[in-house]
Amino acid sequence: MTDIRIDRRRFLIGAAASAAAAPAVSGALLPAVARAQGAPIKLGTLTPLTGAGGNYGPSMRKAMEWVAEQINGAGGINGRKIQLVSEDDQTNPEAAVRAARKLIDVDKVAAIMGTWASAVTTAVAPLCWESKTFLTTVSGSDTITQLPHQGYLIRTQPNTHLQIGKLGEFIVSLGSKRVFVLGAQTPFAVPSQNRLKEVFAKAGGVELVGAVIYDKDKTTFRSEIDQALRAKPDMIYLNGYTPDVTVVMKELYKAGYTGAKIAQGYAVDMKLLGNVPNEVSDGTYTATPSPAVESAGYRRLAGVLGEKEMNPYSCQTHDQISLVALAIAHAKGDATGTIIKDNVRKISQGAGQKVDNAVDGLKLLAQGKAVNYEGASGPCDFTDTGDIVDCKIRFDRAEKGAFKTVKLL
Amino acid sequence: MLGEIPQLLVNGLVAGTVLAVPAIGFTAIYAVLRFPNFTIASHATIGAFAGYVANTAGGWPAAAAVLAAFVVAGALGVFNDEVVLKPLRPAGALTTAIAAIALTIVLENVVRFVFGNDLRGYDLPIRRDWQLGAGVRIGPQQAENLVIAVVAMAALFLFLAFTRTGKAMRAVADNATLAGIKGIDADRVARLVNFIAMGLAGVGGMLLGLDTSIDPLTGFRVILSVFAAAVVGGLGSIPGAVVGALTVGLGEELSLLVLAPAYRTAVGFLAILIVLTLRPRGILGERAY
Repeated sequence: MTDIRIDRRRFLIGAAASAAAAPAVSGALLPAVARAQGAPIKLGTLTPLTGAGGNYGPSMRKAMEWVAEQINGAGGINGRKIQLVSEDDQTNPEAAVRAARKLIDVDKVAAIMGTWASAVTTAVAPLCWESKTFLTTVSGSDTITQLPHQGYLIRTQPNTHLQIGKLGEFIVSLGSKRVFVLGAQTPFAVPSQNRLKEVFAKAGGVELVGAVIYDKDKTTFRSEIDQALRAKPDMIYLNGYTPDVTVVMKELYKAGYTGAKIAQGYAVDMKLLGNVPNEVSDGTYTATPSPAVESAGYRRLAGVLGEKEMNPYSCQTHDQISLVALAIAHAKGDATGTIIKDNVRKISQGAGQKVDNAVDGLKLLAQGKAVNYEGASGPCDFTDTGDIVDCKIRFDRAEKGAFKTVKLL
Repeated sequence: MLGEIPQLLVNGLVAGTVLAVPAIGFTAIYAVLRFPNFTIASHATIGAFAGYVANTAGGWPAAAAVLAAFVVAGALGVFNDEVVLKPLRPAGALTTAIAAIALTIVLENVVRFVFGNDLRGYDLPIRRDWQLGAGVRIGPQQAENLVIAVVAMAALFLFLAFTRTGKAMRAVADNATLAGIKGIDADRVARLVNFIAMGLAGVGGMLLGLDTSIDPLTGFRVILSVFAAAVVGGLGSIPGAVVGALTVGLGEELSLLVLAPAYRTAVGFLAILIVLTLRPRGILGERAY
């Protein structure tokens, strides 16, 4: 049921958009259509439209649809249009595998873009590398790039090692002494704890006094919180997703906890602040991989999505589809997962001319020039295993229902 | 470690009592209509959102909003059953159960379409827990939930035991053919049981959300525990659902003494496994009122 409805809606949006675009750019569009004679290039989006990531999936998909429209409007990739096929991963590995199977077996997409939860990416990745489909993700767990993906995977999100390393440094800088981790059952739960221990051991004077990993689908976490409070922490790291962290924060307040709290920015976001009383959220620190907010690419996308402060994932999926398009264009041949794998680093890094959007990049590639894509999310340079090389993390503090930036690491 | 037990018992008692409300609804429908109606999940969500609208837009206090949850979820329950599930019942319990799963996905998405995916919290002041001494604490909202759940259950028991309609419902549950011969309108009883059961599901959904937050998956997240409670207590037995819910609630909490919290969900399944192996008809058996 859901699939049919989404496809129909997507079709309508697409139809309406092209109808609206036609009069405005008809002069430019007509020859473009004439040029785009090859079969369309099919690319899949797999974002969490429902479930714990449901706050982000819709805008992640919208960002990719917009880039595809821009590329198609400018004549496509080497004359071939992009055809996006969108599925919902439901923030659920099982549903995601079914959706990915459909994208790979039925639609025969060259790439799947936008998986969000680490558990989802971990489940979908083997299907991708076995079928030689390219996978781009925004998941952070260290374990993902350690999978034997043979190069068929890149991510635009900093990994746990990088993120938690900076989170640990920040906690040290706050002067906390006893840190407890209350985390949801995720692939990054244990690596996060280990990384924090490493950072604390190096800094000295601060220790990890305990950790609890809970089942995030439970409706109450009172007993888990009792375990945490028995360790008498002065800082609790809430390593979960929005639905469970909302409950945990309320219950911490009710239990009389007055120490400090820190969480990832995707868990404690504006929507969470709107849903809990200020006395519950006040003083909570958040860590967010910072998109390139000063860049032209970021401002352009923010205008399109109608959001002043975009979530990092929409910026990342905007860059993912741009990178995929440029990699295909660079190869000048067929559009397959293997082609994307072999070419993506040739347009994402190196000495080429810097571009912040796919359309400009495609023009330069058509003129035979080298490009280095730097997008809305950051420089987009990748290691051999598919991790991004570096990323800034922004630390905010919630005060009276709003965030104030306290540090950039 | 033993010092934790009183707190775990309190937590388990509150969780079990709240779980009992939708479990009674589930088992009541099974008793009368003889199929597992998984739309309990979506009606719990619908009730939670109906109560949310009454609470935030209407400004009703929690106890009054619970009534809105009951009426809206109950009325929609009757409508959905008449339109979708009733025509399918002659095709057998399995067909109807599968249709119920499909219907629950549809209804959940209708809620998503209207309210969106965002988490919502009830407009209630947040209060610190009461400390009961010896490190045991209970939240004022939890205590209120406990009272609302007990009142709802007591009202249902009195209704079934002492009213003519209640007795008619029990008669149909016991032997539909015989009840028909005695002139009891089975259709009317089916509508009534749907109204009450889905209403209770709605109340259960709202009680779950009162202490935490709600989203379109609120009901779906608890359906396995509800199912476990009903099966453990004895499918079709209303006191059984209460016993089963308390068993699952207390079991999940007490398991924390020996298990990591991530494995808590397994307790419900383990309870089903043990009960079905040792006592397939459930703790109280199938026909206990």
